[in-house]
Amino acid sequence: MRVTAALIADTFREAFARKIFWGLFGLSTALILFFLFLMKIDIVEGAAATVSLFGRESPRQWELNRLVRQVQSGIATFLYTWGMFLAVFASSGLIPSVLEAGRIELLLSKPVRRVHILLGRYIGNVLVVGLNISYLVFGVWSILGWKTGLWPKAFLLTIVFTLFIFSVLLAVVVLVGVLFESPALATMITVALMIISPVLAQKNTMERLLSSEWSRDIWRGLYWTLPKVYDVGRMTLDYVFDRTVENYSPLWSSAAFAAVVLAAAVIIFSRRDF
Amino acid sequence: MPSSEFAIETQGLTKVFRSRLRRREVRAVDGISLAVERGLSFGFLGPNGAGKTTFVKMLLSASRPTAGSALLFGLPAQSPRARRSIGYLPENHRFPTYFTGAGMLDFYAELAGVDRTTRKRRIPELLERVGLAAWGDVRTGKYSKGMLQRLGLAQALMNNPELLLLDEPSDGVDPMGRIHIREILRELEASGVTIFINSHLLSEVEALCREVAIVHRGRVVLRGAVKDLTAGKGYRLVATGVPEALMEEFRRQSVGIEMNGGRPALLFPGREAANRGIDALRAAGCEIESLAPTSCTLEEVFVRTLSSQS
Repeated sequence: MRVTAALIADTFREAFARKIFWGLFGLSTALILFFLFLMKIDIVEGAAATVSLFGRESPRQWELNRLVRQVQSGIATFLYTWGMFLAVFASSGLIPSVLEAGRIELLLSKPVRRVHILLGRYIGNVLVVGLNISYLVFGVWSILGWKTGLWPKAFLLTIVFTLFIFSVLLAVVVLVGVLFESPALATMITVALMIISPVLAQKNTMERLLSSEWSRDIWRGLYWTLPKVYDVGRMTLDYVFDRTVENYSPLWSSAAFAAVVLAAAVIIFSRRDF
Repeated sequence: MPSSEFAIETQGLTKVFRSRLRRREVRAVDGISLAVERGLSFGFLGPNGAGKTTFVKMLLSASRPTAGSALLFGLPAQSPRARRSIGYLPENHRFPTYFTGAGMLDFYAELAGVDRTTRKRRIPELLERVGLAAWGDVRTGKYSKGMLQRLGLAQALMNNPELLLLDEPSDGVDPMGRIHIREILRELEASGVTIFINSHLLSEVEALCREVAIVHRGRVVLRGAVKDLTAGKGYRLVATGVPEALMEEFRRQSVGIEMNGGRPALLFPGREAANRGIDALRAAGCEIESLAPTSCTLEEVFVRTLSSQS
């Protein structure tokens, strides 16, 4: 545990040194400031008073509530797509860097199991991104709450879902990093998974359109095997809008994907020669 | 750490690198069986590509052997427990540049299982010992190569190792730095630490190590004590007033002759020839100024050994 903690701290140190942490933090801060600017918070007139949001006047509480949730869903969507891309891009170098010749031998010469080295990096990376996501979401949530007096907690679940999908995608980054030590390739493959996800999610439509059973099987197979970035994103929005979520399979199937990919990365890393 | 007579013990240790399609294979280490006693300073020599670094990597479990076994203090090398008493300085190390010297020592010592109190005490001590006391708070990106090498040595010493594995320890270090490193290693050897040096710098190894092994194409081709390997079998005699006729006689007997400030130095191949030569010189009324057994350098032994293998 102590060793893993030291490796997590090292990942933070590297994220700070490579300006990854500050880059994400700066971007989040810029977004929060931009949001503050949009909100034009100059006078808080009380929760019951007419509130102006993005130039729209909303005298009724339920409309205000709807507007707040729309704004929150916009932020969640932005964070889930562009934010995720930036997080993957920023993290892709943190695994190959530790595998550099002259650095990995030194780590391996210590009485540390290889699995700890990899998991220390993985967890450290998740925490670096998790802190930034939390900062952004809490920032936006607080500003909106302050302005409108509405504090829907469902928006905070964006942190959990976004971080969950980031952890799933990071498992791919780790596997590609261990196999090829290429940050560029790790980013390309992970982003490809993000792009293909909404296409694969059209499973029902495609099952009607595809003529042969084997092609439908391939589609279903890909859908169930690969991480469901799109479906989990939809689920996040359902929570934000207070809609009922009935199907949790995108969560567990994506978690299973991450577990298998991460286990493969650990096995390959444990057997690899340096 | 279990008691074992040997710090390092390998049996038929082999590493074969295969190409992706498994059509070509390179036998980097070919069945090396080697036992290094505790407390010994041992030099592991060989030309580039002889398999020295691969051998060390297998000892550290950074590379998995194709065949054979390696024990460190009687424990299988792949067990993390076996690495608890090891200090390692890799060749061409790349310490992350975001660390300060002290931060780097702290991080690697924590991984080595050194507790916080010991780390706090050892870091300034070791920085002082390797001559970097003023550099502890400076980022390693600002260090010269020689300074990084000394910092690397301090890193290897943080956990008070019983076995020190050093890959080209004085690479890039200036002559004064080398002497300094040599002094540190001598002190460590005196305190009972086993030192295993993998190096091209034969003079360094000769000055430091009591035993060496020469590796060629993945095999140990010569092993022995440095003083035995460098001891010559012949004698070098300096005399004055040697008549030309006697010199001619020596030449006929294939005695080597070197002129040293006008005085001949006669190189006899063995004790018998030296005795015969002394008799002849005395009979001719010559004066013998000095007589000493000849010796050779480790470099000469190295070159001779590899030439005989080619």
